[in-house]
Amino acid sequence: MKPRDAYAAFVIWVVLTALGEAFVLRANIYPLAGNEFARDVDDAFRLLMALAVPVFTFVVTVLVYSLLRFRRNGEPAEDGPPIHSHRGAVWGWFAVTSGLTLLVMVHPGFTGLLELRESRHQEMVVAVQAAQWSWNFTFPGRSELEKVKDLKLPTDTKIRFDVTSRDVVHSFWLPMYRMKIDAVPGRVNSVYVATEEAVSYGENVNVRVQCAELCGTGHPRMQVRVEVVERPEFDAWLAEQEAG
Amino acid sequence: MAATALIARTRDWAFGPILRGLLTGLVGFSLGAGFTAGVRALAGADAIAFGPVIFGGYWFGLAGWLLGVGVWRTWAREWLGMPVDWTMRNGWQRYFDFTTDHKVIGVQYLVTFLGMFFLAGLLAMLMRIEHLTGGQVLFSPSQYNYVMSLHGITMIFVAVAAVIGGFGNYAVPIMIGAADMAYPRLNALSYWLAAPVPVLLLATFFAGGFDAGWTSYPPLAVENRDGQILFNLAFITLGLSSIAGSINFIVTVTKLRARGLSFGRLPIFVWGVFAMSLLGFFFTQYVAAAMMMTLLDRLFGMVFFDAAGGGDPLLYQHIFWFYSHPAVYIMGIPGLALALEVITHFSRKPLFAYRWVVGGILAITALSAVVWAHHMFTAGLSDIELFFFVTTTELISIPTGLIFLGALGTIWGGRLWLRTPMLFALAVIFNFLIGGLTGIFLADVFTDIHLQDTFFVVAHFHYTIVGAGIFGLFAGIYYWFPKITGRSYSEFWAKLHFWWMFLGFNMTFLPMFWLGLNGMNRRVASYPSDLEALNVVASLGGFFLGAGFLVFLANIVVSWVRGPAASANPWRARTLEWHTSSPPPVENFESEPEVVGHPYDYGTPGAVHAMLAGAEEEGG
Amino acid sequence: MAAITHTGHDSRAINSMGLWLFIASEFALFSAFIFARYYLTGRDQPEELNIGLGYAITVVLLSSSVCAYLAEQAIARGDRRRFLRFTLAAIVLGTLFLVGVGLEWREAAHSFPPPDLYGTVFFSLTGLHASHMVTGLLALLFIWVQGRRGRFDAEAHWGVTGVVRYWHFVDLVWLIVFPTLYLV
Repeated sequence: MKPRDAYAAFVIWVVLTALGEAFVLRANIYPLAGNEFARDVDDAFRLLMALAVPVFTFVVTVLVYSLLRFRRNGEPAEDGPPIHSHRGAVWGWFAVTSGLTLLVMVHPGFTGLLELRESRHQEMVVAVQAAQWSWNFTFPGRSELEKVKDLKLPTDTKIRFDVTSRDVVHSFWLPMYRMKIDAVPGRVNSVYVATEEAVSYGENVNVRVQCAELCGTGHPRMQVRVEVVERPEFDAWLAEQEAG
Repeated sequence: MAATALIARTRDWAFGPILRGLLTGLVGFSLGAGFTAGVRALAGADAIAFGPVIFGGYWFGLAGWLLGVGVWRTWAREWLGMPVDWTMRNGWQRYFDFTTDHKVIGVQYLVTFLGMFFLAGLLAMLMRIEHLTGGQVLFSPSQYNYVMSLHGITMIFVAVAAVIGGFGNYAVPIMIGAADMAYPRLNALSYWLAAPVPVLLLATFFAGGFDAGWTSYPPLAVENRDGQILFNLAFITLGLSSIAGSINFIVTVTKLRARGLSFGRLPIFVWGVFAMSLLGFFFTQYVAAAMMMTLLDRLFGMVFFDAAGGGDPLLYQHIFWFYSHPAVYIMGIPGLALALEVITHFSRKPLFAYRWVVGGILAITALSAVVWAHHMFTAGLSDIELFFFVTTTELISIPTGLIFLGALGTIWGGRLWLRTPMLFALAVIFNFLIGGLTGIFLADVFTDIHLQDTFFVVAHFHYTIVGAGIFGLFAGIYYWFPKITGRSYSEFWAKLHFWWMFLGFNMTFLPMFWLGLNGMNRRVASYPSDLEALNVVASLGGFFLGAGFLVFLANIVVSWVRGPAASANPWRARTLEWHTSSPPPVENFESEPEVVGHPYDYGTPGAVHAMLAGAEEEGG
Repeated sequence: MAAITHTGHDSRAINSMGLWLFIASEFALFSAFIFARYYLTGRDQPEELNIGLGYAITVVLLSSSVCAYLAEQAIARGDRRRFLRFTLAAIVLGTLFLVGVGLEWREAAHSFPPPDLYGTVFFSLTGLHASHMVTGLLALLFIWVQGRRGRFDAEAHWGVTGVVRYWHFVDLVWLIVFPTLYLV
């Protein structure tokens, strides 16, 4: 082990980090994002990846560099240097990992919680009742729509879903809005979703309500195709449901 | 009497103790079931209801099984003032005895749980076949749920018990210079309590299966088919075994260390087992309580989790995760500690920042008690609760980082000997790096809401539990194989197994991160067909991974039978188990060991870890 | 193979530590059920609870604990007669306690049977405690029988110490369970 090793590893780490950052910041690995909140969640995901890259490349660099540089062919004849610890390295490591942890804890940890809190506005309240294995919806001033296979929602509307369950625990998941809440018998859990543009399940499979908590035989197919449509079309659909 | 003579003769049969245990177990079960049915008849209820009768019969059956398999002979007679029979058999028959030798018990654990590992692995293959397309391939959704649930719980049990039960038992007493565990008979009891667990799990097949996953959330677990009852009994039984084992480890490490072996000189693997025992002996009771409450709801009309009766399903989740989060450390940390142990000896350099690493393990142990609700971020917690659990969960990154510091600091500048145990240990560090970093996405509510209950989570916990725990298990198998069997394994086939498993593992689980992020929820037989391509990659990776274990099995079996003899210390490692013969004598050392220095003083000329009284100093 | 003896180690200290750990572990089990009681029913409790009977059996149980303590003190002095007498007293009082719990159950089964939420926590918590009482009673009975046969003396009585300590633990748990169910 010579200073040269540390320099070489440092250079490799910098290069790998640069490549990694270029990849994670540009890679579009995300599903369709249906609103501002979803895009913010994806940004948080991207930020966490950006912070994870240097950590990942650091560990991998040290691992692989050591593997190649310090390996012995066969049984080592002599021992390595008797280094038990290194004050600077330990405290430096401790400071950097603590700093990163605190950073992540505050942002996107706490700031994410705040954004979740601030997203709680509603122009419309929809009661959702989960049951084995269907979703039932009640729109304001309407009677309950049972076992809906297709759900329409109006564009540019802030919606609160009051979610509960009739039997076992389910979970109400709207992948394109990055929103999920468990449907627990005896409780009403609310989630807030602000719809934006018109979009439909036909265009993207993530425009759906999916049960995300194991609830028995029908669990995987406990889903509802969603279509976000302009307000008049939505009103017409609702009236039609009521009549039918 | 002919019957007594016959029973006496069973002593000589290879499977005699097991047969006797089965017989007394059957008698106990009949008594318990009959008693329960009788009480029910008197109370005017349907006498032979499946659930209550099985429940009542099981506990008496379990007691009968334990008495028959060896508790009566070696233990209970003593309580009654009768002489006990300590004779243990030699040869391969001893592995079927209620033996008090911790080395035999360690092997019993290893073989039993490796068997369960392969069984659950086959189930995983079936799941990957089902996922080759988005639609239905092999199973109906309900069959899939059973296969998935059985795979989950079996693997959880393997992860909890294989490293601690196997290598904790085999290696820890020798590493601390003790002749055996503190309570050798309790140790035997722990193993023979665990032995009925796979039987119960397989028996679920005849009770209609169970489909609530390993987490078994009520109300589903109160309403589903009766296999669920056997699942709950199995969980409680393994819990009892785990509690007994944990108490045994804590007392053994506290009280039976060799002269001179202070806590500051404890090998890191011993630290890992000790710290996880501190979690196991206390927190396991909570999962027993959760399982018990489910059974009370299910069989005795109580309403703990029944919202209609005023109960609350979330109560279960709180109690369950209060155990099960510490439990994921019980699954992961022993493997990590074992990896650090191996890395140190195969780098021929002191374990870097030993005290910080120990501090990290202890800090994880402490923090694990206050992070459980991060499994419930979407369950409807209040903002204050979310805030609290985000904070505590993120904090765990700091002590976890110290474990990485120890590993990287040790290999940097070392003299790396890349034998198979070392390759597995380094893979533990790599896998756990991915598992740990992806954990941050789940610790943060904002990103977790979307990822919760998706394949992202599946990938994450396979990287931590398989990546650290099971890779650690295999590091241990190759590391201690010469010690346990007195023979050497084939390095070529072992390395082939390593690379096969490492590539197969990453090919299987890496795509799952993307799948989860892109809308594939977990525990599903079918999924949107847009996600087929990467599912096929994961499935092919899975089949590849599974096939690799044939190499492992062939190598281990052939080497155990015909491998060349191994020396006492083939790795020139410094800890105490390498100061005795391979395999060690019954009481581990020919003479009493005394510890005079740190186990990891590599590179210091003349440094000695331990000496055996009356023997020349050996090893270095 | 002979029993493994841990040369140079104090076997009593080893046993004692294991028992403490076991007691701590059992405490965790009770705490889960006690937590469930507060989580599910808050501070509510039904009026039908027979608090008088509750106090009465608490006193009986405490007396049993005192007797067990005196029995252990007696054997530590080598006084077998008093040891046997106080052990028997502890057993009788313990049994009386269980009879009291049985009376409670009869009333409770009438006023709030298990499908009732309070019945759920009441029966599970008292049932869990009673099952530990039965174990403790069997253990006391065991040391009583063994003591009559001449086992245990001033030097060697770990069996007695262990059982009595467990008995104190079960009593202590009742001192938490009782206010939890009756007083809060």
